[in-house]
Amino acid sequence: MRLFTNRTAYALALVALLQTAALAVMVVNRIRLLQTGREITLPIVPVDPRDLFRGEYVELGYAVGRVPARLLEGPPPLGNAPFYVTLEKAQDGSWAPVKLTRDKPQETSSDRIVLKGRSRFALLTIDGNNATTINNVRYGIEQYFVPQGEGPRLEALARDKKLAALIAVDASGNAAIKGLLIDGRLQYEEPLL
Amino acid sequence: MSWYRTKLERDLARWQTEGWVTAAAAGAIRRDLEQRKSLFTAGPVLAVLGAVLFGFAIMSFVAAHWTGMSKLARLALLLATLWGCYAGAAVLFQRQLNAFAHAAVLAGIAVFGASIMLIAQMYHMEGHPADAVLLWALGALLAAVLTGSTPALAATFVLLSVWGTWERLDSESAHFMFLLPWGGAALTAAWLGWRPGFHLAALSLLLWIVPLGFLIWGYHAHWLVVLIGAAVALGAVAAGETLNRHLPISGALFAYGLVIAYAGLYILQFLDDSRWLASRPEGPEGAGIARLLLLAVVSLVGLLGAMLFALKTDNRPALWLAYAAFALEIFSLYVKTFGSFLNTSLFFLVAALIVSGLAWVAYRLHQSKSATGAGA
Repeated sequence: MRLFTNRTAYALALVALLQTAALAVMVVNRIRLLQTGREITLPIVPVDPRDLFRGEYVELGYAVGRVPARLLEGPPPLGNAPFYVTLEKAQDGSWAPVKLTRDKPQETSSDRIVLKGRSRFALLTIDGNNATTINNVRYGIEQYFVPQGEGPRLEALARDKKLAALIAVDASGNAAIKGLLIDGRLQYEEPLL
Repeated sequence: MSWYRTKLERDLARWQTEGWVTAAAAGAIRRDLEQRKSLFTAGPVLAVLGAVLFGFAIMSFVAAHWTGMSKLARLALLLATLWGCYAGAAVLFQRQLNAFAHAAVLAGIAVFGASIMLIAQMYHMEGHPADAVLLWALGALLAAVLTGSTPALAATFVLLSVWGTWERLDSESAHFMFLLPWGGAALTAAWLGWRPGFHLAALSLLLWIVPLGFLIWGYHAHWLVVLIGAAVALGAVAAGETLNRHLPISGALFAYGLVIAYAGLYILQFLDDSRWLASRPEGPEGAGIARLLLLAVVSLVGLLGAMLFALKTDNRPALWLAYAAFALEIFSLYVKTFGSFLNTSLFFLVAALIVSGLAWVAYRLHQSKSATGAGA
């Protein structure tokens, strides 16, 4: 009986340990992405400009979330599997999509960066031959939980100003919001821990 | 349980007056029932409910006190709660308070899920939310495998079904990946020898099979669902005796097969036909009606057959499911054909003929059953 209860205790400790490990992997991956990822700045397209920071979280829209279907190169993406959008930096420093691929392309130029995206309706709307645009490509940077207490301040700062997000992108194309820029100045930076 | 006790009390009294059962034997039977009843006391049920409420309390407390906490403090709080639940479970197992220990394991699983969501919120992770549910389900499965906790296994099946459905809605594909973790959970149920676990496994698989027709082979493959269900039901009929020698599951298998087959037939008749008709505009005018009639006849005959078999094998759940399906079929046909090729009175006449026929068959069957009963 003693042995049995000891074994149960070890089993429970193993459960707690492995679940903790799973959570730790989530956090560590994210911190590594924020720390070591390449930085790009993407202007935020106002979805609802009046109450941007009032709610618990906001939906952030980006110009790069609309990708013309003619940019598709190679086979179309499968179902709800992620696909890759290559962005290119223009003369004025803004980023715009130039390529859409099912597999991750090798881009070595410093003027190009690859983002992993998803679209719920990829299956229905992607057709390389017509000129439709894939709206609503999501890169995992569209939901922003407003930091507690920061809402009103950011709201006041953002009124009639240009908003942008500082994005960290890792080598696999994962993206994360690192901070918020208002009129080109970093006004809020996400703490790592 | 109580309906069984009431019925048994009545029967025992009758058997005793008939002289088939002695007073001592009746007493032994009652004592045995008393002992079995102790398995169903309120304690464990309340403990599990308490664990669920505990989980909700933690989540709402954390959500309300998030302000002002650094990310590190939040992570520490989540992990401390997680370890607290499993440490509590260890202590409770040691004191042989198994029901409460299992409840603590369940609370730990709830905290694990809450932690996934809160960490995703803290770091603005969006990605693919269904992945978070899968991670949660795998955490629950881990707890079930390592601690042999049946509530954890029940949580696994529920979470896997949520994950599978979410993935399917997102991808509009069959999502065969579901079968992999489902198989793991089903094997765990078999390994633990937990009978309700078989039902949960069957139910979650049923939820996966029934919509399959919408998702593969041109999105109208409901006949495949019908075939799967029919194969399971007929397999249970054909191999029932052999199966039951190892595990008494043929009755349940028959009921699940019946539900799957009828769900497929229902979709074919009432949910998918408009698309089917639209895709064949060149077909003759009455093709849709002829098809509906054919499927309705197949359904009603199949359900009648199922009822007779359920009566013969004393399979109460299957009998009631078949009755319910029969009623649903008649009602749906009525709604569908209202004001079209059948007028209302003709419809009721047909329904009445079918039901009367059914009553006659049931009566004959009952007679022959009591005849063999008297002969034995």
